[in-house]
Amino acid sequence: MFQNRMEALALALPAALFAAFVFLVPVFILLSEGFRAEGAWTLAPYVDFFDSELNRTVFWRTLKLGAIVTAVSAVIGYATAWSIVTLPPTARGRMIGLVVMPLMISPVARTYAWIVILGRTGFVNQTLVGLGIADSPIRFLFTETAVFIGLLQLFLPLMILSLISALENMPKDAVPAARVLGANWLQVFFKVILPLTKEGLVIGGTLVFTGSLTAYITPAILGGSKVLMLETLLYQRVTVANDFASASIIAMILMVMSFSANLLLKRLATARNKR
Amino acid sequence: MLKTFLASTVALAALTGAAAAQDKKLVISVYGFAQDEFKEIVYDPFEAQCGCDLVVETGNSVERLAKLEARKDDPEIDMAVMSTHDALAAARAGITQKIDVSRLSNYDKLYDIAKDPVGDNMGVGYTFYATSIAYRADEVTIESWEDLFQDKLKGRVAFPNVTTNQGPPALYMLGQAIGDDAASLEAPINKVAENKDDIVTFYVRSSQVAQLMQQEEILAAPIGRFAWGAYSKMGLDMAWAEPKEGQTGGMNVMILTKGAKNEDLAYDFMDFWLSTEIQTKLAEALVDSPANAEVEVADEIAENLTYGAETVKNLKLLPPDVILDNRDQWLDLWNEKVGQ
Repeated sequence: MFQNRMEALALALPAALFAAFVFLVPVFILLSEGFRAEGAWTLAPYVDFFDSELNRTVFWRTLKLGAIVTAVSAVIGYATAWSIVTLPPTARGRMIGLVVMPLMISPVARTYAWIVILGRTGFVNQTLVGLGIADSPIRFLFTETAVFIGLLQLFLPLMILSLISALENMPKDAVPAARVLGANWLQVFFKVILPLTKEGLVIGGTLVFTGSLTAYITPAILGGSKVLMLETLLYQRVTVANDFASASIIAMILMVMSFSANLLLKRLATARNKR
Repeated sequence: MLKTFLASTVALAALTGAAAAQDKKLVISVYGFAQDEFKEIVYDPFEAQCGCDLVVETGNSVERLAKLEARKDDPEIDMAVMSTHDALAAARAGITQKIDVSRLSNYDKLYDIAKDPVGDNMGVGYTFYATSIAYRADEVTIESWEDLFQDKLKGRVAFPNVTTNQGPPALYMLGQAIGDDAASLEAPINKVAENKDDIVTFYVRSSQVAQLMQQEEILAAPIGRFAWGAYSKMGLDMAWAEPKEGQTGGMNVMILTKGAKNEDLAYDFMDFWLSTEIQTKLAEALVDSPANAEVEVADEIAENLTYGAETVKNLKLLPPDVILDNRDQWLDLWNEKVGQ
């Protein structure tokens, strides 16, 4: 298309410079803060960070909740996406609309709704006590369970949408063919559907996992300071202690976790492919 | 021709006149709360009086303090309000300057504790509040700070996080109740840690507590009196505890930035805000309890405020230097014992 490479590069230069100056340079400055102590480059701030029991607890809790939310949303996501793609076109459109709808509501409003629903006098506890499943209201608010529920509701639509597009791109006769050849539903899922939709799973999984790691409002409102996650810890470090070095370390950890999750998911997908 | 010339001269004069009025500008930095009321009672009348523009910046204390520090050599903010310990931190950082109290005509009307709470006239108190326990009188009785941990309140009580302005004073009073009020707050933090599973949450915003109380999630919580208005309107049997150890609280002060570009306006504004008229209006709107001792309000208003010489005298406030010098250790200890 271009007469020479130089011309193409010249055209790309303004955008590249813009991105470098307004994005890469500030990010570099911010992240480098965590590698500096007393004017020298060092890893000591990271060692100190992980030396604290609180920081370790928060790190593992964030990783754990992120992984569980991703896994559960994958399971629910496949079931939902499959039932939606098998619908006739009009009904499918409506169902996708319903899936997208929560994304149009502010996460603050959605999360506050959970405070009412999960409260002592809320719908969930009234039902549990009413049915005799629990003797007295169970405390959900400000627990990991509440954060898990909030995050799942927040990010499940992203997983469903990724899987719907993956399932729609799957050859229409693959599943009937496998069934005809005698595969049961479990085999159909693991040997046909999963390999053919793995890209959707990788995209959905990355979005959900990264989203869960970096969500702020949901853990802040439903977990509070009793269930600190990396993101709420970061906020606390900056706003309470004005400690940008720790904040930079947490930001770096979050980025590394997100990239690793994406690489891991891709690796899992290709490993299955080779078999 | 002459007509056009005259018209354009008039237009020009009007324009420069407007520009001159706009040049007179005061920049203040305040808490984000009750801004509608402040605009009506303080900002708009002051703008009308001084013929100047008032630029209001809001945010939490740490953000605002960080911003003041960042612009230390070329301050854009002329005057700010903050807690006594933040004002002391600002004074130590060299951000603020001594206030010449002789330029404040309303200074002598202030309660004694508001006159120089930071020391060295680095701040003038404009409001204070009591901190005690708001509780459901139909469910529990609270006569001591230790009563927060009674059996009936297991799983039904909220406590302020150590990072809030209510946290350290509440811990200090809890320390008094259990017989150890050392500035390290070690005993009360340990007490909270022992009971942490029975505490619903360590709140960071007073609005959050009001919601939990309304939802009957909790039955008691230490709160600042400034938030009491919301509780008394809940339709629940709410009471304000008068624990035998006493009530604690906090104070907010006005500070003047070093190198403020509009110092004269800043003094005018501070004096305006401290005047009996404005302090009375702020009290009547239940925005801020008056630091001006001449303010008189009706009983039903006083009910919702930290009001009266007697109340003010009995507040057990943590000195700002104690807060500032121990804050980091409190946070570390809290994170270690309670935060896990």
